[in-house]
Amino acid sequence: MAKLCMGLFSGSLDKLVGAGVILSGAAADDMDVEVFVLLQGARAFLKGNENKIDNVAEAPELKEHFIKQLEVLNVPEWYDFFEMAKDMTNVKIYICSLAGKIWGGEKLEDFNDLVDDLCGIGEYLTAAEEADIHMFI
Amino acid sequence: MTQDELQALTVNKSVDARGTACPGPLLEAKKAIGTIGSGEIMEVLSADEGTKRDIPKWANKKGHEYLGTVEESGFFKIYLKKG
Repeated sequence: MAKLCMGLFSGSLDKLVGAGVILSGAAADDMDVEVFVLLQGARAFLKGNENKIDNVAEAPELKEHFIKQLEVLNVPEWYDFFEMAKDMTNVKIYICSLAGKIWGGEKLEDFNDLVDDLCGIGEYLTAAEEADIHMFI
Repeated sequence: MTQDELQALTVNKSVDARGTACPGPLLEAKKAIGTIGSGEIMEVLSADEGTKRDIPKWANKKGHEYLGTVEESGFFKIYLKKG
């Protein structure tokens, strides 16, 4: 089983959707996945924040078009992609503890149900070293 | 297989994923193939161009046989035999 390691630094809607699409592909392929949520990404995973993410990292002037097209094309919400992937294959999601602290999340219960645990940077790098595929978003 | 042979196949499972963009059809195919037995035939209906390359590659990698694709008006049907 191929192993995918994703460093999810970004917490903007466009990059979260992109990450979700990639996780879906990994799920369809039965990959083992570890997602390490880094600095800006952690805010999106705080309990209750899932629907509050509406900034985009790329072409902010086209944000309205981007969001409208997601609806038109029936694209699931970013966290639905993550949830689907977790239902379909072995996906673990870890929040970098420093990132959590920046956004006010110190403990696992501060984050939504997608999150498996908090972690340190060493574990991320070890996972990246051992994975078949490593990507940083 | 020829287009006529594909059209004449007895399909055990049909998945209509025409309402979704990538990765919707792939996910639908993945979920549905688990519900049929080895050697059975599944068709996936998709209107997403990327799917035409994506599902055959996925199927071959996962040990299923890609039988072919039939073009319809505004969508296409991909035929797979479960491995």
